[in-house]
Parts: sequence; structure tokens; C-alpha cells
Amino acid sequence: MKNEPSFDHRPDPELGGVLRAALEPRGDHAAFVARVMAQYERALDRATIPALDILASWSRPGIAVAAAALVAGFLFGRSILTPVRAPAPASIEAAMAPAEGPGGAGLAALVTADDPPDASVVYASLVDQR
Amino acid sequence: MSAEAPPPPQPPAGLARMGNSAEDKDLVAQALAGDRDGFGVLVERYAAQARRVARAVLGDPDDADDAAQDGFLSALVKLAQYDARRPFGPWLMRIVANAATDRRRRRTVRRAEPLDTSLVGGGPRPDAAAVRSELGDRLRSALAELPERRRTAVVLFDVEGYSHAEIAGILGIPEGTVRSEVFHARRRLRTLLADWKEQVR
Repeated sequence: MKNEPSFDHRPDPELGGVLRAALEPRGDHAAFVARVMAQYERALDRATIPALDILASWSRPGIAVAAAALVAGFLFGRSILTPVRAPAPASIEAAMAPAEGPGGAGLAALVTADDPPDASVVYASLVDQR
Repeated sequence: MSAEAPPPPQPPAGLARMGNSAEDKDLVAQALAGDRDGFGVLVERYAAQARRVARAVLGDPDDADDAAQDGFLSALVKLAQYDARRPFGPWLMRIVANAATDRRRRRTVRRAEPLDTSLVGGGPRPDAAAVRSELGDRLRSALAELPERRRTAVVLFDVEGYSHAEIAGILGIPEGTVRSEVFHARRRLRTLLADWKEQVR
């Protein structure tokens, strides 16, 4: 051992030796290894627990149920979001007629119709009125 | 002549570690593939080192063994993150040191008492054989008085043979800080050792 070698780049064998003896584990080496390996086995058991088996048993019916729910949800959503298309009135009179009148879809129908009324029908109605 | 040959001299920890690094990578690959024996050989190989490093952090040998075990199991969980281009030992020791530090923090919160008080030698020992273990007591006591990072650094350097750069990686501090920590720890421990030698003379 040297007195004060400051930043020595090499390990000090004497100091290392006494420190090693001082820190030497108390218990048996083989017993410690066996203990760690026992924990290892337990950890493996926990990792492979029936978790995978459970997932496997759930998978087929689970996938079927999920797919059915998905399709049902899609169809239901589409039925809600898709508006019912009202036909455009056939003539201006029909459009202007009260809804409960004969052959009249009503002004509301004209306004809310998805398709605009045929322009020729509108003009024909105006000409007839003159 | 005795029937049994004397055990071969043990190489320094660092040399043994470096010589096995390629094999370590194979063992890691085996462990990753689910080979129990691959992991078992790694545990066998690094158990003593992990226990010493954990004891340097924690002081108490039983707590150290718990922390070393935590470290091995944590390493197993993180094994896929290990970069096989780097040596395995420093990677594992970082995990072990962190496990020990975590355990010490929990213990500090739980008991709020200074480290290692139970390990300091009490009164005079009855037999001469205990004189040597008294040095161990004193060293452990001196280690316990050092800051955690300092005592871990000196143990990793002088006991386990890791380089300053490797210790920097293990402790997550700059290499210059490692040098400084090792220097200060050695100064304290060498003084203690010199005093002890004077006493036993």
C-alpha cells in the first residue's frame, strides 16, 4: 500500500483485499444462488400464469361479440345520421298546397326537400296562373 | 502431501470479469430465449460481486442479499434492454447498486436511523482470532461513515476492479467525479488501515 498516491489509476490490491474480506457476504454462496433461482422460477410462473390461457379462452367469443357490436353500432349510427330524403313536390301548387290537402306536400316539404323542384314545373305553373 | 490439491489462486475480480464478457453475452442470449441455465450461470458468476456491492451501499449483509436478489430479478426483467456490445458486469452492477440504494432509502424512511450501526464492533473480543475481524468491523464502520457514492466507488474500483469509466456508467456520474470519490475514500480507509497496523504491531 502506498501512502498517498492521489489519483492512482490502478486498484490497490492491499486495500481491495481487506475491503473484500470486510464485505464478504455472510451466507453461503450456493444458498444465495438457489434463493435467486427460486425467485426466478416464481417470477416465471407469475409471468405465464393462466393469464395467457385466460386470454386464449376469451379470444374467440370475445372477438365475435366485439365484431357484432361493431357492426350493430355502425348500422345504428348510420341509420341515425342518414336523413330521410323527401321527394320534391311535383308542381308549385302542390308545393303551396297545405300538407293535409289533396296531393299537396306543403310548403314545408318544398323548403326541406333535398332536391330542388323542377324549374319547368315552376314556370309552367306561373304561365298557367296568368 | 494432502490428498486434495490447493485451490488455484483467484484472479483479480476485474480480470476475471473482462475475460468472461464474450461468454456473458451468450449467457444473456440464452436467458433471453428462456433458458433457465443461462440465467443461472450469470447469477452464479456475479452473485458474490453483487452481494459485496450491495453491502457497500447498505451495510447490513441481510439487506444486501435482498437487494442483490432484487437486482438480479430486475436485471432479468430488463434483460432485453441490455446492449450486448457493452460488458455485462457494469450493466448488472448499475442495477444492483440502484436496487440497494432504493432499499436503503426505504429503510431510512422506515427506521430513520444511521447506516450500519449494528456492524460496528462492540467491546474487546475474547480471542486472538477475532483481531483480524476487528479490522473488518473498523473498515465497515469507516465505509459507513463515507457518503454512499464514495464507498460504492471505492469498492467497485479497488475490490471489483472496474475502471473509472465503467464506474462512472454504473453510478451515473462523470468520470472525474469517480476519481475524486475514489481518492477521498482511499485516503480515509488507508489512514484507518495504517492505524490498525500500528496497533497490532
